[in-house]
Amino acid sequence: MIDFENVYKSFRGSVDETKLFEDFSFHVETGSFVSIIGSNGSGKTTLLNLVCGSVMPDSGKILFDGKDYTAVPEYKRSKTIGRVHQDPKNGTCPELTIVENMALADNKGKRYGFTPAVNKKRIDYYKHLVSECGMGLENRMNVKVGSLSGGQRQALALVIANMTDNKLLVLDEHTAALDPKTSENIMAFTDRIVKGKGITTLMVTHNLRYALEYGDRIVMMHEGKIVLDKAGEEKKALEIDDVLGLFNSISIECGN
Amino acid sequence: MQPILNSLDVVLQDGFMYSILAMGYYISYSILDFPDLTVEGTVLSGGVVFGLLVKAGVNPYIAVLAAFAAGFLFGGVTGILNVKLKIRPLLCGILVSTALISVNLVCTIVGNGGDFKGDGLSTIDLGRSVPTLTRIFPASELPSDFYGFNMKKLAVFFAMALIFKIITDVFLKTKCGLLLRAAGDNPNYVTMLAKNQGTSKILGLAIGNAYAAVSGALIVQSRGNVNQGIGIGMVVIGLASLIIGLSVFGKVKFMKPTTMVIGGSIIYQASLGIAALLGVPTVYNKIIMAALFTAALIVSGKLKKKRGVERD
Ligand SMILES: Nc1ncnc2c1ncn2[C@@H]1O[C@H](COP(=O)(O)OP(=O)(O)OP(=O)(O)O)[C@@H](O)[C@H]1O
Ligand SMILES: [Mg+2]
Repeated sequence: MIDFENVYKSFRGSVDETKLFEDFSFHVETGSFVSIIGSNGSGKTTLLNLVCGSVMPDSGKILFDGKDYTAVPEYKRSKTIGRVHQDPKNGTCPELTIVENMALADNKGKRYGFTPAVNKKRIDYYKHLVSECGMGLENRMNVKVGSLSGGQRQALALVIANMTDNKLLVLDEHTAALDPKTSENIMAFTDRIVKGKGITTLMVTHNLRYALEYGDRIVMMHEGKIVLDKAGEEKKALEIDDVLGLFNSISIECGN
Repeated sequence: MQPILNSLDVVLQDGFMYSILAMGYYISYSILDFPDLTVEGTVLSGGVVFGLLVKAGVNPYIAVLAAFAAGFLFGGVTGILNVKLKIRPLLCGILVSTALISVNLVCTIVGNGGDFKGDGLSTIDLGRSVPTLTRIFPASELPSDFYGFNMKKLAVFFAMALIFKIITDVFLKTKCGLLLRAAGDNPNYVTMLAKNQGTSKILGLAIGNAYAAVSGALIVQSRGNVNQGIGIGMVVIGLASLIIGLSVFGKVKFMKPTTMVIGGSIIYQASLGIAALLGVPTVYNKIIMAALFTAALIVSGKLKKKRGVERD
């Protein structure tokens, strides 16, 4: 599904240059559910940005289903990608109501012409969709999204990202803003969506337990490199302590 | 009593006339958060297009549509400079409105039968026989003096403001309009919907300036002539009317923003009218305008703080 071939990416600051990815190659099978873990600043979000086209590589190629997408702009790639950002503010429009946000998303991939945006007949369907995340959002359909809490917005963003049929789901710490119980619910909800649709998924998380429990492949990143990559039975055999041990040893090696 | 009624007549006419400009700002400034200076040029462009066409005998309603199209085009240029060339909003407006000074002048001169070198008349006079909006059906059927009110003008300007209000309200509820609101609110959301957020921005600026040009056409209708100074001060009139409207009526439930803007435009013109009635000479008008604008900004800033909105 996704192929990174010899990707280089560095960021130029005012004084220094961070070389994040150097000769980075990465492959994701169609239909797999990959959990990505790693310390802060290890390049997880940048990896997702490269996949979605929000950040362009300095050199190297990014392929989707064998086709070269390196130069395809983000908005065109979005046609088949559903995404939840690390920042809850990113995935919804604060000044629009839940219904308006959902009506826009419902039309993704089609023309945004001069027909009415909100189809009243669809509202019950929207209510049904948000009721599945169990936050009572179905009773607040006409409030502005900006007045919801960060966690509620993130849950809504997850629902919205899955309203149309995508080929790829990209989740960046989408449960980080949620309380423990809601986080569990949303994670289970995510798993239902992914299993139900069989959609290829990249999920970044700092929760090692989620990374091991969910998905069929685990990837650990460190300073722009993949330091652990296990799938299938190998992944099932991993314990939290194994991963935590590796995590700590890397951090100690690098002196932080 | 009569001077008061007369000035009320002018306040309402000008209020409706400039409310279309202010509704354009509602789209470019309130929705897209783009401080657009292009209107300083596009108001006059609309006036020139309208003046030339009407003088040539074209139906004045069609001339208004042509003014709309001209404003749409030039506003689109501002949008393209910003989106494609990544030039800052204020500079885009300055660039386009500066270029439009020449464009408007040359168009006026050539339209008057002059040459492209710039030799010729730079004003257009809609004399007594030119069929303007008030001289054709239906406005021609109305009285030109009804207790001090010029019903022909008032009806035309009111109808125009109402039509643009309704068009704006309906547009903002369409898919295209809602996408535009999303583009101003969270451009990233538009990208996630697989749409180019730059296109929405360009469209919004085109619409904002199309509205400005229609106001320009009405200014020419109202004054009966075109001179090259028409665009001066339009940024302040448009933005002040918008901000006054939104801050005065902001709390009224179920009142559409477009209605608030029309109200704001009338309040703004009324303040100028009161100053004139009190005997303040018109040369001080621009100071009063700037002071009113400042007051409106302070009030709207306070209201926003109360509501806990971070953005200004
Ligand atoms: N737009 C940018 N400009 C400059 N540097 C950037 C930019 N984006 C990322 N970086 C740098 O690249 C590195 C990786 O950042 P990234 O956001 O990918 O980390 P992350 O793994 O997602 O971390 P976290 O767990 O904190 O979200 C960091 O050192 C960061 O400073
Ligand atoms: Mg991150």
